[in-house]
Amino acid sequence: MKIKISIVFLLTSFQIFSQLKGVIYGNSLISQNNEKNQRKEIIVGAKVKSLQTKKGTISSEEGLFEIVLSKNLPDTLVISAFGYYNDTLIVTKKDRFALVEINLYADKLLPEVVASAKREGHGIFKLKVLQVENIGEGELRKAACCNLSESFETNASVDVNITDAVSGAKKIQMMGLDGVYTQFQFENIPYLRGLESSYGLNSIPGTWIESIQITKGTGNVVNGYESMAGLINLELKKPENIERFYFNFYGNRLGRAEVNLHGGGKVNSKIHGAWFVHGAGLQNQIDENKDGFRDVPLSKNFAFLNRWRYDGKKMEAQFGFNTNFEDKEGGQLNFDPRKIDTLFGVHIVNRHLDAFAKTGFFFPKKPYQSIGIVYNLKFHQSEAKFGNRTFFGEEKRAYINAIFDGIIGNTNHKIKSGISFIYADVYQKLDSIELPRVELVPGIYTEYTYSGTRCTYIAGSRLDYHNLYGLQFSPRLHGKFSINENLDFRFTGGKGFRVSNMVIDNISLLATSRAWILDTIIKPEVSWNFGGSIVKDFFIKERKASLSIDFYHTRFENQLVVDRDRDHNSIYFTNLQGKSFSNSFQTELSLPVLKNFDVRMAFKYLDVKSELAGIIQDQVMIPKYRAFINLAYFSRNKRWEYDFTTSVYGKSRLHDVSHLANYMDDNNESKIFPIINAQITHIYKSWDFYLGGENIGNYRQKDPIVGVENPFGSDFDATRVWAPILGINVYTGVRYKIKKKKN
Amino acid sequence: MKKLMFLFLALLSLQNLAAQESKSKKAQKATIMTSSECGNCKERIEGKLNYTKGIVFSELNYDSKELVVKFKPNVISLEQIKKIVSELGYDADEIKADKKAQNKLPLCCQPGGMKK
Repeated sequence: MKIKISIVFLLTSFQIFSQLKGVIYGNSLISQNNEKNQRKEIIVGAKVKSLQTKKGTISSEEGLFEIVLSKNLPDTLVISAFGYYNDTLIVTKKDRFALVEINLYADKLLPEVVASAKREGHGIFKLKVLQVENIGEGELRKAACCNLSESFETNASVDVNITDAVSGAKKIQMMGLDGVYTQFQFENIPYLRGLESSYGLNSIPGTWIESIQITKGTGNVVNGYESMAGLINLELKKPENIERFYFNFYGNRLGRAEVNLHGGGKVNSKIHGAWFVHGAGLQNQIDENKDGFRDVPLSKNFAFLNRWRYDGKKMEAQFGFNTNFEDKEGGQLNFDPRKIDTLFGVHIVNRHLDAFAKTGFFFPKKPYQSIGIVYNLKFHQSEAKFGNRTFFGEEKRAYINAIFDGIIGNTNHKIKSGISFIYADVYQKLDSIELPRVELVPGIYTEYTYSGTRCTYIAGSRLDYHNLYGLQFSPRLHGKFSINENLDFRFTGGKGFRVSNMVIDNISLLATSRAWILDTIIKPEVSWNFGGSIVKDFFIKERKASLSIDFYHTRFENQLVVDRDRDHNSIYFTNLQGKSFSNSFQTELSLPVLKNFDVRMAFKYLDVKSELAGIIQDQVMIPKYRAFINLAYFSRNKRWEYDFTTSVYGKSRLHDVSHLANYMDDNNESKIFPIINAQITHIYKSWDFYLGGENIGNYRQKDPIVGVENPFGSDFDATRVWAPILGINVYTGVRYKIKKKKN
Repeated sequence: MKKLMFLFLALLSLQNLAAQESKSKKAQKATIMTSSECGNCKERIEGKLNYTKGIVFSELNYDSKELVVKFKPNVISLEQIKKIVSELGYDADEIKADKKAQNKLPLCCQPGGMKK
């Protein structure tokens, strides 16, 4: 009997395998030039028809389709979608298991054919060779507060940590490695780097963001050499599909108020424009743990961005500028930087201006070929005062990257190559020590992509000549193998490097009275990253669930090691001697339990070690593990959304303070703690209302500041922070939008 | 024990009866056959109906073209709902689409739009 059943099972499973699955993308000519797949859109409702069975199907909201193939292979599929040229695909027996990617090319220059479609809020791109996680607008709505750093709240791959107890700054971490090892880019332009790395996350409000892509491991070579642990790409709202007008107000119980506005649209058939404004402030002193220090600094933020898009016949261009200003005052209560007094205060000012442009040229007769050029100019000033210590930084940066996109023979062999040039003038001054640096980095790169039916490989390498550190070679290899239509295996390996900005990268360490000691000449940081992942999709009543497991290992050839373990009075900055590595293991399960109820669970284990004080030991402040659960429910009329997120953080090693009387029996370990967030959103036509709570469990670190009685004394240390300083926070807000006119 | 069980069942069935009784006043579910084609249609129809008074929820499956609506019959009638759908430019069972509205729809949403 059993055998029979298994035979039946086998037969049916064979039948399942005679299906073909795939995704259909539409490529519009005008945007072929952008070096990424920016105008490569999923086509909803494209028709796929088998010539032999005469049966057809229509692609889903995610652009996916499944078609039953004829028994007599090869079969020919005809793919058609409104506004695109038809295409055919010959399917052989070999292809039965595979997931195919079909690219259709637009038959008009402006193919705004495809209607808006609901994209999944969160997911791993199935067809990308690299493991790329996407955070869409739906997901961003779950954490309505406030800016980029909170956008990762419902994501397990990126951790957001408070850097110290006085400046209120937050930094991201990937694979347990500091945010500086993750390359940020704004629509493929390197961004939030250099002097912005420590405070930049505050400068982009969540409402401006259309989506975020998180790549684990070294990214593509096209965008530079700096992605060592990962790559985060931000897509802001685009002039061609932005709301005509959008207004958001946010307020929380602490007295923080925030206003975000944006809008834009079509100027004429060739020009689209968009503008964005952000203003926020907190002018209310809060000290709930009664330690005499503000739990959150007073702050003023302002940001403005303006962008344009031009679509010509043979050329496309995007350009814009962005400016922001930030002023934060933390430290002891009643501290005022305008007055000279004896209080310990933190005062941080950031001024930023950048201009960006992208131009693309394409060849109407060769839609697979294009040239894109990316330009970026940046000016940034950063001033910081931590008690008696002062920092001043100024960065001027120019960047240009020209990318040629083409094919070798047919579209199975794609090639991207280009040249880039960076000019960066970074000036840092800490107290009276000056650290000026001028970088000139010309670089060349080539990336070859092979797309087979079952596997895709990307091999890339880049060569950069750094005026201070010489020739740098960064090879990278990525691959994807589809074991069957629902099971993908990916691997990645590559080298990355960056030049550290010692002071700004570690500026939160000024919030301690320990002296900084730098006894060598800083060398660039070089790392190798290797990893792999398995993503399995399965179905619960036609609803797609997925399970992913990944492991990444990052090993530093050189690193600027921050050693707080050598003695109690100093922080040593040295080039790596010995080993420094990170192992990160993560598994994530996403379950659509009901049509309108999703559960997402994740568990991450981190092992981040480095040679500190002569022994290989855990890096400080890195939790050993993090467990995460997100419950999302929406009512069937889509008017109510409920979200609930809990993260549990494991223990982390803390730097030793046992020489102090109050900490004699401290075991230099943090405690396990949870953070619970929840939010309710009510959607009514053009209005959204939301009410949410952060840290509902009210978990607070007791005594976040060491030596709080005497801030100018030798025991003072506000950097031993591993949990929230602030308890429950309740916020509410409203969003109003006038949608883009539909053609 | 058995008695208790019986009582419980009886109660349940009573409740059921009561529920059926009050259904005419409470929400009712209906399925309407539409001429929808794609995700855009889904957004248009659901976007309108979900904010119409008396409708608890509406869900369109554009593959089968079936629109499921749960509504309160004392507030809105099924006929009225069909009329709204027709005004949006789609057939709703026996009520044909408003031609003017239909012509205004994007090409992909018009009958046969996805088959071109």
